[in-house]
Amino acid sequence: MSLKGGYFKKGLWVDLTRGAIETRSLADAFLERYIGGRGFGAKLVWDNLREHDFKIDPLGAENLLVVAPGPLSGVYLPSSGKNSFVAISPATGLYGDSSMGGGFGVELRQTGIDLLSVAGRAAELSVLFIDGDGAKVIPMPELKGKSCLQAEGLIKERLGSHIVHMATIGVAGENMVGFACISADWGRNAGRTGLGTVMGSKNLKAIALQGNKDLPVYDMSGLVAEADKAYGYMKEHPFFKMWQRQGLMNVIDYANETGILPAYNFKDSVFARCEQINGTTMLNHYKIGDSACFACPMCCGNICLVKSGKYVGTVVEGPEYETCAMLGPNLGIDDFAAVLSAARLCDELGLDTISTGSIVAAVIEGYEKGILSLADLDGREITWGDDDAILELIPKIAHREGVGDILAGGSRRIIETWPEMDRVILQVKGLEQSAYDSRASISMALAYATSDIGAHHTRAWTIAKEMEEGSNWSDDERVGIVIYHQKLRPLFDMFGVCRLPWIELGLNELHYERFYNCVTGGSLSLDELLELSNDVYDLTRLANVRLGMSRRDDSLPYKVRTNPPLTGPNAGKVINQGEFQRLLTLYYQKRGWDENGVPPASLAEKFNDRV
Amino acid sequence: MPLKLTVIPEQCCGCRICELVCAIEHFGVNNPKKSAVRVLNIYPHPVIRMPVVCSQCRVPLCAQVCPTDALRWVEGVVQLEPSECISCYKCAESCPFGAIYVHEDCELPIKCDMCGGDPQCVKKCPTGALRLLPEAALGESKRLDNILSYTAMKEIELYEEGEKKVIRYAEVGKEEL
Repeated sequence: MSLKGGYFKKGLWVDLTRGAIETRSLADAFLERYIGGRGFGAKLVWDNLREHDFKIDPLGAENLLVVAPGPLSGVYLPSSGKNSFVAISPATGLYGDSSMGGGFGVELRQTGIDLLSVAGRAAELSVLFIDGDGAKVIPMPELKGKSCLQAEGLIKERLGSHIVHMATIGVAGENMVGFACISADWGRNAGRTGLGTVMGSKNLKAIALQGNKDLPVYDMSGLVAEADKAYGYMKEHPFFKMWQRQGLMNVIDYANETGILPAYNFKDSVFARCEQINGTTMLNHYKIGDSACFACPMCCGNICLVKSGKYVGTVVEGPEYETCAMLGPNLGIDDFAAVLSAARLCDELGLDTISTGSIVAAVIEGYEKGILSLADLDGREITWGDDDAILELIPKIAHREGVGDILAGGSRRIIETWPEMDRVILQVKGLEQSAYDSRASISMALAYATSDIGAHHTRAWTIAKEMEEGSNWSDDERVGIVIYHQKLRPLFDMFGVCRLPWIELGLNELHYERFYNCVTGGSLSLDELLELSNDVYDLTRLANVRLGMSRRDDSLPYKVRTNPPLTGPNAGKVINQGEFQRLLTLYYQKRGWDENGVPPASLAEKFNDRV
Repeated sequence: MPLKLTVIPEQCCGCRICELVCAIEHFGVNNPKKSAVRVLNIYPHPVIRMPVVCSQCRVPLCAQVCPTDALRWVEGVVQLEPSECISCYKCAESCPFGAIYVHEDCELPIKCDMCGGDPQCVKKCPTGALRLLPEAALGESKRLDNILSYTAMKEIELYEEGEKKVIRYAEVGKEEL
């Protein structure tokens, strides 16, 4: 079968060391097998690992940064504005990826390519500019030290165009902080696994785009009919308006009521002053506008402004649930204006809000417990809810000043420096845990533990379902739901679309099968597509195993197995290590991996064909 | 009654669905850069998302500068006669709103034609930022805003299901009693 739509069948390869830029055609076999986004990234990173005998320094010139939207990115269907960034992660040393919404991926496709691969390191801080006619690397050393937004303004001026889209890094990325993000469209971030750091290591401050090409769609009228059905379904959903109004901020109340909201570095899982930082408070006092990614009717983004008080004038896109939870209750902060201020600071510096919130919380608890001395903190005390001290510490991380230099190395560096901090920081494989407390749900703990990129909720988010229906679940069902999520959710990243219409408004998976087939002219069933996404999961597992990962890395954070939440519905709960290990063994069995979580050697053969 | 395509930028979330459906309707392609309506995202100051689309002016400057009279106001729509257009794009340059667009693939300027009276962008806008209003209703929201800002108005605050509400009212003047 040959692909009739969905792709330009072209990729752009850039080597910043040599200044070489090359357009290569992409074979149908590659496009069909890896689909796009994270699938392309996984394959290219795998090939690169093989080429380098599985020895890649995440900050070395040899690490490949793959930027890939998918065949559905930018297409008329709900929430099609996603783009993936993939590389070996500085946070974990393993396979890493992160996606962002907004319009960046759409613009990348409109320049006429399906993927961008960046290798090497530029001699000085540079901007990669791509338009329909080609690409060029523009040295702009004057951008050093500029925030994401400042850089964006200066680049637009330099290019003489105000309609370019771009992804930039802030000071954190330049200084190679382990959890720096890539930002676009003012508030859209590819936050996790430190991919902004990879850009920083390549001396690449920004990727700027201007494209105007038609996106190839095989069956336009079929697509419009399918998309209109999906849009109509979403609009009728009882929660649709609530999503437009609050976006992910509605999760704060839900998490607090169900006892999965991180408070005081996960010491607790409810927050007494939750109503001061929840969605209703945002709506009544701070929200000034909606914000949507491309083609998304849910517009879950919020724009907030602090209108009075000490943070007056703070304007930020966001926050969403993770940011608000990690920079609010998790730090003991009950002032929403302070949360907004911290979120804006992270956006400007280019720091991932989840990792930043997690690490600052660990510092506060470490100091409280006496693991960290006042001297370790450069003489500046820091306690729960102390917004002044917290807002002082965050820039020190980005600028690597004082204790910030160690914190900038992320969990692994912190634990190396102060081994007892392992009992305080919640992380798996070196990636700090997202804002859903897995002590309430063993399937969620398994999801974090087996996630290829570390403790992030994007791979499988089973916590709500288990809390609602899972009290009588068998081991088989608990493991089964994790694997199903790990199969299905990559598909959204591969297509280049957001998963929220599915997970939050219940848009049926089969819609995506039809979208894919209308756009590409293919005839794959959902099951066949799931097989392909499962292959990508196997592939990233293989990569990680070859990079030295094994069963002991599919672990639970110390707190999750030892320290129960103090109050709330899940008070007293921890994840039993024996029960967890039993589920883990079953998980490996069901995946066809061995006792140590190693996929069969024969599996690698599947992925060794040349692109 | 003539209907007007009206923009309420405060309601716009910047999703650009309008751009997509316009291009699909007129060119049959998935390309937001071939749309007669575009959403401008301005940040960080001023913070606004502004859909820019033809106002179908009664005294169209675009038509005044058109050297071949290819643009004419007919029954509420400034219409472009393709056979007379010489693609000089003077219209795009002169529109005070910048609401006429040019794309390298297209010879003709891209301009809103109201989809024959049933604009797709209005139909598909998920937030109500684009609306089709009778001309007589134009300015209605401003009139209402004016009433609300009448200085002699008093107000009370109340919370209904956790949501803050304000009731404003004008009290009967004492001297009249």
